[in-house]
Amino acid sequence: MATDPMAEIRASFFVECEELLESLQDALGEMDEGQHDNETINVVFRAVHSIKGGAGAFGLDALVAFAHRYETVLDELRSGRMEVSPEAMKLFFHAADLLQDHVRAARDAGPTPDGAEDCLIALEALIGGGAGPAPVEEEVSDFQPMGLSLDFGAPEDDLVEAAPEPPVWQICFTPSPALYASGNEPLHLLRALQALGTAEVRCMLDDLGDLDTLTPEDSALSWTILLTGDLSEAEIREVFDFVEDVSTLDITQVTADRAPAEEFGMDVDQGFGVPSGAVDVPTAAPPKDIAPAVAVPALPGPQSPPAASAAKDTAAPTEASATVRVDLDRIDRLVNLVGELVINQAMLAQSVAEAGLPPNSAVMTGLEAFMMLTRDIQDSVMMIRAQPVKPLFQRMARIVREASAAVGKEVRLRTEGEATEVDKTVIERLADPLTHMIRNAVDHGLETPDKRVAAGKSSEGVITLSAQHRSGRVVIEVSDDGAGINRPKVREIAIAKGLIPADALLSDSDIDNLLFLPGFSTATQVSALSGRGVGMDVVRSAIQSLGGRITIHSEPGKGTRFSISLPLTLAVLDGMVVNVAGETLVVPLSSILETATLAEGDIRALGPETNVIHVRGTFVPLYDLGAELGYRHPKSSYDGGIVLLTALENGARSALVVDAIMEQRQVVIKGLQRSYGHIPGVAAATILGDGQIALILDPADLVQNASGRTRAAELALAG
Amino acid sequence: MTVLALAPRLDLSHVAELAEILRGQTGGDLVLDAGAVSHLGGLGLQLLAAAAKTWRAQGHSLTIHPRSAAFDEALDTFGVGLADLQSEEAA
Repeated sequence: MATDPMAEIRASFFVECEELLESLQDALGEMDEGQHDNETINVVFRAVHSIKGGAGAFGLDALVAFAHRYETVLDELRSGRMEVSPEAMKLFFHAADLLQDHVRAARDAGPTPDGAEDCLIALEALIGGGAGPAPVEEEVSDFQPMGLSLDFGAPEDDLVEAAPEPPVWQICFTPSPALYASGNEPLHLLRALQALGTAEVRCMLDDLGDLDTLTPEDSALSWTILLTGDLSEAEIREVFDFVEDVSTLDITQVTADRAPAEEFGMDVDQGFGVPSGAVDVPTAAPPKDIAPAVAVPALPGPQSPPAASAAKDTAAPTEASATVRVDLDRIDRLVNLVGELVINQAMLAQSVAEAGLPPNSAVMTGLEAFMMLTRDIQDSVMMIRAQPVKPLFQRMARIVREASAAVGKEVRLRTEGEATEVDKTVIERLADPLTHMIRNAVDHGLETPDKRVAAGKSSEGVITLSAQHRSGRVVIEVSDDGAGINRPKVREIAIAKGLIPADALLSDSDIDNLLFLPGFSTATQVSALSGRGVGMDVVRSAIQSLGGRITIHSEPGKGTRFSISLPLTLAVLDGMVVNVAGETLVVPLSSILETATLAEGDIRALGPETNVIHVRGTFVPLYDLGAELGYRHPKSSYDGGIVLLTALENGARSALVVDAIMEQRQVVIKGLQRSYGHIPGVAAATILGDGQIALILDPADLVQNASGRTRAAELALAG
Repeated sequence: MTVLALAPRLDLSHVAELAEILRGQTGGDLVLDAGAVSHLGGLGLQLLAAAAKTWRAQGHSLTIHPRSAAFDEALDTFGVGLADLQSEEAA
């Protein structure tokens, strides 16, 4: 837990920046799709403006300077003096990416990103001139109330020293036209406030129109006042006693122990870049429509007071409690505790079973209810960690932009199922493999515009990134509408690299899967983009380390689709507890298609040491878990043996021989990687009800590395 | 260069009229004489700020000089800098 309150407030600012960057990307995306209405453009403007304002309050000059110049160009767009063109959209996107880099650089005290100046110059060329350097001191006064700063424009060190002894109140005040019409005057109110304590007043001028659009009698300004003094809210409200019905007033206490963003009911749902490792826990209505609203500066005209105040006024009681920002450590602790609870419950269940109580005894009934509650608690805790994949997808949008620019292809990224929720850890660890896959799709998957046109396609390639829940797992797909995998070429390369024998008989799917072999690269030249020696094998192992699987589906001329199937959580899984050579093992239920008892005639010999079994008209290779894991030699006969039929990534099946199926239960995953590294065929371990440790198998990985020996040859040791 | 003397009270009662006058002065440099201003209200403030935006956009200068103490004090209270109400653009 962070102990420095100022550091926390600063961290909140960066969390909010991520949120604003997200809405910026959203709105730019809408604009790119032809939505050029004022509201969309305003969202873009406000996002940049709010980041600038907050950055000013923390003295982040480089960020302020960049945002200012970006904002200046956007302002031209907003005022209708500039048209949206494809060229401009590209620059806007690029500037948004750079803004993100600037935010991160400011957050991590890193170097300012390269290319910012070029981008700004190109942007400013659109409006025919420079915006000039950011008048930092002045611009700070535009800071939109995000409840962040306690000291405007002061360097951060000063902020830290200025930790508030007396309470600091943030007052957002927007007069309505009726206030003026009734003879009241903000000047007097501000004076009265200043008499109460130390007041920092800032007037929201930025969204004021020009002379042509202004209606002189209408109220178009609003103020944010930070008032420091030993005051109660009631004392402050007293000042506005006569104008409360003709103005919008929002008074919040900005204290160190309450992150200001919470006070606006802001929610952060990003899975990445959250500086303090904080994660938000949605507890009520989806806050999507609130978050952008917080950053809405006053629009000209009486009917649009700053949305922060408006939102607060209309929905304050519920919105304020809509989210709670919780440190990630606390959630992890909770997840661990729930894991222990599940183990403990299993132990208790075992003791009760051993006590031989009748099934309908009070203890048994109570235990069942307890188990259901445990399951509910566990599901709820897992939901806390779940986050939508949207931020991850937005990051990919940037990768597409950069990658397509680098290779001179026109690419559009379509996303589907952005709201799909996945465990936060999964999202974080998915970023790298997904980045690589997207780059591959742009570089290798899609054809050049000329070739596309020649093939009767649109010159613009489409990459689709989708996420969905499918039978208890998350399926993320990256597909392109390119030429599909060039199988003859893949095969040729694999032979040339000695990966397969020249006369190998391979199905289409086998050839596609060659892409996953270490060191494979189809690009004849190493391009700047992909082909850096990091191949799909790295992608596959990253996915597998998440308990996931990756499959390829490709159609010549139509495109390629990579599907990643992932577990919803990395903390628990439903498994089948089996016994093999006296060892207890757990096989994930998700990988088991069915179980069967082998009868005579089901088993056919194949080659010198291996067997296949005949199941419903197909032959499935047989693997003896005991032999594969080194517990024993292959048995002399498998008649009457029990097999688990499992599915592999490419749709192929395998049959795993076990000695006995003990039960089906939920197990808590305890990672082994930290202590033992990657063990082929073993995903993790768990603690069973009797305190015994059992290995959780990864059937796909096991089969991949398996010998397949199911017939005892002389000296055939399992391995 | 035109010099325009502002009325002593820049509030609801005068802003509509002043807005008309200001609109008539666009397209050239302008100096506003605020030496006699005894009360600058919220509406007066927003009108001057809007005018400054227009002048800036048009690339002309708009300056407020001289200013009364009441004018400066009001700006301070409103949390607005003089730069917000002026346009430094050269004609």
